[in-house]
Amino acid sequence: MAELSKALYKKKRVRMYVADYIIYIFLSLFALITFYQLWYVIIGSFSNGQQYASGGVFLWPEGFTFANYEVIFRDTTFWTAFRNSVLRTATGVVVELLFTAAVAYAMTNKYLRCRNAYYWIFIFTMFFSGGIVPMYLLLRVIGLYDSFWVYIIPSMFSVYNMLIISNFYRGIPYSLYEAAELDGAGELTIWATVYMPLSKPVLATVSLWIAVEHWNSYMGTMLYTEAGEWTLTLQYYLKQLINEASGSSGTEYADEVTAKTVSYAGIIVALIPIMCFYPFIQKHFTKGIMIGSLKG
Amino acid sequence: MESVLFRKKRKKWNARNWTVFIVATLGLVYILVFHYVPMVGLLLGFKDADYSPNLLETLLFGDWVGFSHFRAFLQDVNFWNVMENTLIVNLILLLLNFPAPIIFALILNEVKHMTFKKGIHVVTTFPHFISWAIYGGIIIALTDQTTGIMNPILELFGLSSAENPVYLMGADYIWAVIIISSILKSVGWGSIVYMAAIAAIDVELYEAAEMDGITRWQKAIYITLPSIASTVTVFLLLNIGRLLSNSFEQFNSLQNSVNLTRSEVLATYIYNLSFSARRFGYATAIGFFNSCISLILLIVSNFISKKTTGEGLF
Repeated sequence: MAELSKALYKKKRVRMYVADYIIYIFLSLFALITFYQLWYVIIGSFSNGQQYASGGVFLWPEGFTFANYEVIFRDTTFWTAFRNSVLRTATGVVVELLFTAAVAYAMTNKYLRCRNAYYWIFIFTMFFSGGIVPMYLLLRVIGLYDSFWVYIIPSMFSVYNMLIISNFYRGIPYSLYEAAELDGAGELTIWATVYMPLSKPVLATVSLWIAVEHWNSYMGTMLYTEAGEWTLTLQYYLKQLINEASGSSGTEYADEVTAKTVSYAGIIVALIPIMCFYPFIQKHFTKGIMIGSLKG
Repeated sequence: MESVLFRKKRKKWNARNWTVFIVATLGLVYILVFHYVPMVGLLLGFKDADYSPNLLETLLFGDWVGFSHFRAFLQDVNFWNVMENTLIVNLILLLLNFPAPIIFALILNEVKHMTFKKGIHVVTTFPHFISWAIYGGIIIALTDQTTGIMNPILELFGLSSAENPVYLMGADYIWAVIIISSILKSVGWGSIVYMAAIAAIDVELYEAAEMDGITRWQKAIYITLPSIASTVTVFLLLNIGRLLSNSFEQFNSLQNSVNLTRSEVLATYIYNLSFSARRFGYATAIGFFNSCISLILLIVSNFISKKTTGEGLF
């Protein structure tokens, strides 16, 4: 019995050739480099600013301390920016997802006339745009400039995501639609009760894309706002912290914290939400991309 | 007779027609307002809009200047310097950053231990989710002359010294920094789509080839690569369409006053011209030129691809 299982085990084991070892070493090195970039900032954020300034860090924090995080936690501007980014991400995901999914439903519906006209008008905007000055002018004119809603309304619909969602809708069995139609359900009811529940995988993927985009973007803050109480975003604030830090040597600080190590703590705090969601993103993105790669 | 036929063709709209029409048209209205109305704003490129305190007034009633903004930037040395940066960086990215995820997917496909494969992928995909603001900050930290880790590493290879450390964020090395950081940030994420394409390949193809005694290398080159060619083509076309475009946030995050001569690309140049120099007309003209060239590149490469390989975006 023992021999049998041993034989089975042996059969299951994969044979490794020289090429395999080279591949494994290369990939491990690559992953190590990728991971180290983050590790460097993590240990930097736990380092004593003065000690860091005198020679950086390598594998472990220099003069382990929470002082940098204390500075960040007491920084009210940081938390204003954090709040705005959270609000922007949450609102942006809900609004864009619902609106985009609704349009995607209409675009796949057999009752829509002139579908091709809609389609081409939508598609063209993926490859040609007015650019930043005309957009700035438009936002000024319609009063969105320097408003919180400048983050939500101009991005409440995405042609690319609409195409992804409608691709998925097309894969939903038509008989389900017919059955609901026979029951006399209206189009919006069919969308909300048949299509939306069935398209959870693609909706999860798309909402994660939207969320990451909202959380990470700072261009909008730079171009279309004054970065005030309700428009300062976390990434923009971090960018400022990093800029200030890179201009200072660290020696002008008497304390154990310096602009550099504090900015690292800020970076890590801003990455925490991404790290928390990353396992879920992991689960969904492969599926989502595969849906997207099936051109339709 | 004709009118009867006509009437038969035009079916009356029922409630379903109206519902989907309204929803699709809401999307259309959004697109018209936020994408097509700004295209009207491109007219600023033909107006005397530089330093204008009221852009709307300038757009509606300002003096026409014809193509003078276009003539001006085509004769501007700065513009050609920026154009050179944009084209060279993007061509190198097309040569290195575009094939990198394909090669990465092919290599990852050779891994036999699923846990290892997944682990590598989890780690290498993560940087995609880091913002450029943060990633730029990480790169600045790593390349710092006194506190960064890059100089000690370069010292090991004799490429730098403690007395005279190399300034990697300076003009001489910024292209390398841009390209390496682009690859590190995007290779894992970019490979997903190719891995999905590889996973969709029929296993029988490999089995038949194995009967013929094909080597692993041949398998990758003669079976896997041709099987994902259509995916590769689609992404190649999209990349060619983006030869003049860059991520504003990437370049803005990596720029400083020292490397600006090499790191200024069209995306950041247009921003600086409009929001720092307030040369709205001039900047819009450059943006318009940029958009047109990108569209032409996309259409031409799509046409060539359709003629030669039968694959295309549209």
